[in-house]
Amino acid sequence: MTASDTRADRRFLAAAAREARTPAAALTLLTLAAVALTAGFAFCLTRALTGDVSPPVLAGLAASLMGRALTGWASSRLAARHARRTKANLRRAALGVALARRRGDAASLGEITAMLVDEIEAMDGYFSQFLPAQRDARIAPLVIAGAVALASPVAAVVLLLTLVPFVALMAMAGVASGAAARRQFEALARISGLFVDRVRALPVILTFQAEARETARVAAAAEAAGARTMAVLRVAFISTAALEFVSALAIALVAVYAGFSLLGLLPFRPPETLDFPRAFFALTLAPEFYAASRRLAGAYHEKQLGEAAAARLRSLLDRAETPREAPAIAGTAADVRLDAVTLRFGDVVVGPIDAVFASNSVTAIVGPTGSGKTSLLTALLGLTAMDSGAVSMGGLDMAEAGGFAGLAAWAGQSPAFLPGSILDNLMAAAPGVTRESALAMADHVGLTAALERRRQGGDTALDERGSGLSGGERRRLALARALLKPAPLLLLDEPTADLDPLAEAEITALIRQAAAGRTVVVATHSESLAAAADQIVRLA
Amino acid sequence: MNAPSPTRAFLAARARRGWPDLLAAAACGAATAGATTLLLGLSGWFLAGAALAGAGGPLAVQAFNYLLPSAGFRALAILRTGGRYGERLLGHRAAFGALAALRPALFAGLAASPPEQALRLSSGEASARMVQDVNATETMFVRRSAPWAAAAGAGAAAAAIAPASGWAALVFLAGLGLQLAVSEALAGRMTDGPARQTQQAAGRLKGALNTYMAAAAELRCFGLTDAAVEALMTHDAALGGAMIRARDAEALLGLTQSAISAVTLVLVAALTAHGGLALAALAVLAALAGQEGVLGLLRAAEQNSAYAEAVRRLDPLLEAPPAASAPPTSGSRLEIDGVALEPGDRLSVTGVSGVGKTRTLEALVGLCPPAAGRIRIDGTPLEDRPPGWARPLFAFAPQDCRLLTGTVAENLRLGRPDANDETLWEALADARLDTRVRQLSQGLATWIGDGGDQLSGGERRRLSLARAYLRDAPWLLLDEPTEGLDRAVEADLVAALDRRLARTGQGAVIVSHRPAPITLCNRSLPMEPRA
Repeated sequence: MTASDTRADRRFLAAAAREARTPAAALTLLTLAAVALTAGFAFCLTRALTGDVSPPVLAGLAASLMGRALTGWASSRLAARHARRTKANLRRAALGVALARRRGDAASLGEITAMLVDEIEAMDGYFSQFLPAQRDARIAPLVIAGAVALASPVAAVVLLLTLVPFVALMAMAGVASGAAARRQFEALARISGLFVDRVRALPVILTFQAEARETARVAAAAEAAGARTMAVLRVAFISTAALEFVSALAIALVAVYAGFSLLGLLPFRPPETLDFPRAFFALTLAPEFYAASRRLAGAYHEKQLGEAAAARLRSLLDRAETPREAPAIAGTAADVRLDAVTLRFGDVVVGPIDAVFASNSVTAIVGPTGSGKTSLLTALLGLTAMDSGAVSMGGLDMAEAGGFAGLAAWAGQSPAFLPGSILDNLMAAAPGVTRESALAMADHVGLTAALERRRQGGDTALDERGSGLSGGERRRLALARALLKPAPLLLLDEPTADLDPLAEAEITALIRQAAAGRTVVVATHSESLAAAADQIVRLA
Repeated sequence: MNAPSPTRAFLAARARRGWPDLLAAAACGAATAGATTLLLGLSGWFLAGAALAGAGGPLAVQAFNYLLPSAGFRALAILRTGGRYGERLLGHRAAFGALAALRPALFAGLAASPPEQALRLSSGEASARMVQDVNATETMFVRRSAPWAAAAGAGAAAAAIAPASGWAALVFLAGLGLQLAVSEALAGRMTDGPARQTQQAAGRLKGALNTYMAAAAELRCFGLTDAAVEALMTHDAALGGAMIRARDAEALLGLTQSAISAVTLVLVAALTAHGGLALAALAVLAALAGQEGVLGLLRAAEQNSAYAEAVRRLDPLLEAPPAASAPPTSGSRLEIDGVALEPGDRLSVTGVSGVGKTRTLEALVGLCPPAAGRIRIDGTPLEDRPPGWARPLFAFAPQDCRLLTGTVAENLRLGRPDANDETLWEALADARLDTRVRQLSQGLATWIGDGGDQLSGGERRRLSLARAYLRDAPWLLLDEPTEGLDRAVEADLVAALDRRLARTGQGAVIVSHRPAPITLCNRSLPMEPRA
């Protein structure tokens, strides 16, 4: 991970925060109010100390402290809501990419799920804690210095001068520890990853009696990461110590200046005459000068987490090329021609494939597991990248059309549904599908009995997976949806896997019927389904 | 706390071993907190003294000893800086020393715990939860110096307040005590619910996302991708809402703390104001700074309930494992549901889904408890032996074929750690995966991704088979070894398995829906659903 990557991660996070409308004005106002209330507290405290312990002064003390607490509470709530908006925006963008993911992409489904759920949640602290703390740390010291200047301009200058060693120390420590801290963070993430992987593989480790070996591996990884981490922390904690040092320095210098000024022992003539109340007011505010920076240091871990998550999310979003929305062309069935098509994912190349999927007929694609049957089907939708070759359908070139999704209907082996009723899902197949035509199609694919068995019939609610339906019913529903779309190209991925012979025969007959007016392509392992096809394309 | 917690005991033992670091970290933490408090207090006292002396004329000024406070400032600033550095570094060093041992101990404990419990914890969400628990214990370990720092900060402040007013010092300490008590009492109650809801919402989002990603092609065909994104965003909204409730609870807790602290400060100011300018200045500023030293302890107290939960979940893993008993001999005779098997026999187990075929294999290798009397080894019922006792007898290729994140070779060597490459290739050839692995860019050393997800389902299955082939055990347990393979590959693989079994003289128990693997077997066990 290089420095420029880190900068890019920060820019990415900053842009995401902006897009979710950072409540900048409100947060800044709250910071200013907090400083004003702190100054009010210092003022009332000075009054109380110089003998005015009247109820208004005590009430002022209490009110300023409570007011400051309320500003902190309000900023937390605002920032939490901003973080929520930011995460939702990021998630929406990433979801679009995830659902347009091409087969064979480097990131696995598991990684993408983790990225979209866990990694984006890991950014919460960055937006809800780190960014507000950073804003505070930029504004608050200057405003505090301004408030101190009301009582003692020289003390304010003294505070501002401590920024010189502060910035210098931070720059030194930052350069030394920035990259190292990142490496350490990654090392920790790795040992955590190894641990969780071995925990998940525990059944296998147990049956192979490899407990001792794998325990030793986990121990060695933890040991090594611990040793490396200490080397990093020695440097990283310098910045913590530096912050502590300048905080102490700010207080001590203000105290020394004010004290010697009150004693009249200053070696120079100050441009102001201090009295005790002014001096005490300045001193009370002195610890606040670096308070925001110290809170920022406390949010350092959130920053690391957020940046690391951003780096991974960025790689997902950058990799994505949103597939063009294919135009829904109402075409008639036409032959699909494949000329020397090769697909590549990772180390594996499928093809070259030369084939014609004839219209008004069923083509079965068969071949051993991993030979690329499903990938070939998804390639027709533009969801698997073609390495070389060309595909056309009735004169329409696929590369130009960006895939035939608009012309195609699909039924797969694990269909997904939208939250809504069975009929809603059927009617979503294409615009213009009515309730009646949906019911008729359900009957056509043999779902009537299944609908009648359910109390709410076609209005039975489904979740994403279609829970509550049997495997066979889900398959029929997916087929009905595919047949409802007036698409000339029907793509079926293992439509009969795991079905009993009777159901398989019924579905096969439906597929044969569907070939009238369509080009049907079926990827299958089933010999009986392949036997029912008009032609077979065999992948090696 | 009725029984001593093994996790706490483990951490305490590690803490004893790292005591020099922990002691030094606590001393540094105390020095920092004390110095922070006294620095501000001393500053106030110095200002007041200087103001009084300045007003008293040149003689009073000459009599005012400013050298001592100036030296004090320097000493306190150095103490505060060095103390903070030492506290952070030594605290972390002690934590790493202790916790490098925690993960392996937990893993070993998990492996030794009863199978049902171990397997429940090794499933997806539970394992992620366990990592969070380990992290929570780490955080608490680093905070071990917090009570000392708090005590030093509070003690120094109370000592600085007392000269002005003893009552004020008491009020100050009572205020801190109340803050701590509130943290302890409320934090868990306020944040546990939203935290649990957050986790559930995240789980639902993941489930829905997996379903839609697997159906990306179909969504695209029907133009439903955007609708799917919207459907997923309703899960996001639920997650966001739960998170907001958690954050709001934290903010409210913070507000409560600040309110208590405000009341304390006002009372201290009111009670000390008449104690003389210098002492009053010392008192109020020390009270102001003394609050800070307690912050670490307050944070720790807020996390206490989460920490206790984490410890409670980790505890069962660190309980002492049962004593080992003598392993079975390799010439053992096996009896399953009354079918007696001699070494070298091949048994087919068939039956409809859900009849318990997979469970039978899992019971043999001790991944689930065996039903009474169903399985005997050398005549002894398996349930009379400790769980996992029979594992040396079996090489298991399970149905879900879980692979380790790592290389092809690492996965294969799980079966035989000392195998050379030639042996590995031989097993791959018998599993009909050698050609595919030769195509991979780095052959045996190719990284197969998280849980082997760079491989297809059929490839993972065959790698899992090859791994089982490599294990030197008298029986192979194969659960659906050819599922998802096409007929040609299946026939080829079954023939290779036949030759391999003849060569090694191993027996086999094969569960399959498909006829080809069954043809290898000389014994059969058709399982019937139990009434």
